[in-house]
Amino acid sequence: MPLLKGLLPQAVSSQPEVLIIYLLLLLIIGSALASVVIRNLVFAIAAYSATMVAVALLYLMLAPFLLFAVQLLLFTTVSATLLVGLLRRTSGIEPAPDSPFSRELIAGIAVGAVLLALVGVVVGATNWPVRIVGIRPGLGGTLTEQYVVAIAVLVVVLASGALGAALLTSQRLSRRLPR
Amino acid sequence: MKAGLSLLLVASAALLTIGSLGLVIKRNVVVMLIGGQLMLAASGLAFVAFSRFGLGAVTAGNGAALALFAGLVGLAGLAVGVAMAAVVYREHDTLLVDEYESVAD
Repeated sequence: MPLLKGLLPQAVSSQPEVLIIYLLLLLIIGSALASVVIRNLVFAIAAYSATMVAVALLYLMLAPFLLFAVQLLLFTTVSATLLVGLLRRTSGIEPAPDSPFSRELIAGIAVGAVLLALVGVVVGATNWPVRIVGIRPGLGGTLTEQYVVAIAVLVVVLASGALGAALLTSQRLSRRLPR
Repeated sequence: MKAGLSLLLVASAALLTIGSLGLVIKRNVVVMLIGGQLMLAASGLAFVAFSRFGLGAVTAGNGAALALFAGLVGLAGLAVGVAMAAVVYREHDTLLVDEYESVAD
């Protein structure tokens, strides 16, 4: 018995909203491209932050408000702060490549093209939506009812990672590590 | 003109590709970390797209929850990556991965 009844949510057709979504997607792609192309790392981090802010604004239109707030206040600010903090401890400018057609560039373009083609083929070949057979419990309910301990362990592991990262970069380890 | 699942999936795929390009092409650790974060943002975008326009709408909020988890894991990974980069920078005085002979030495 299919779980889904009635129609799927329809695509956004209101012209102002569609225009805003297109503009946000263009901003996301453009600033993401700039963040990996620009050689000055300060500008690269700024472009990356612009990408994350645009994603947050897109979430504001399409997702619950909580995700927008977390994306904007937590993911964007913390990740940009971490990257700027790393930059403050280091040189900050990437030198020019030896050759404009370096081996890394060719390999990267090949990997990117293959990945894009693969995703494009999968998305194009799949007939959305795929029919759901049987009843599946909601993930949110499953996570908060059956797997509470697992979530708590995950939080501890992630917090340990963040704590370890802070300790590694603390002043106590400012001396050089032994080889 | 409409904006639906296909448009967001294409954008997500493009973001994933750009992130992978940054991860593969660039030699700077900072740009490589940014590339990884862009790939995670692409996954979050796909989760939200399926949650809003696909069958994920049956269980509202699940896509957002998964996007939240992906972002949190990515943030923790970024913190660890930044710390490792800072420590390795002290050893080698550079952020270029080509210059690292062997971190284990």
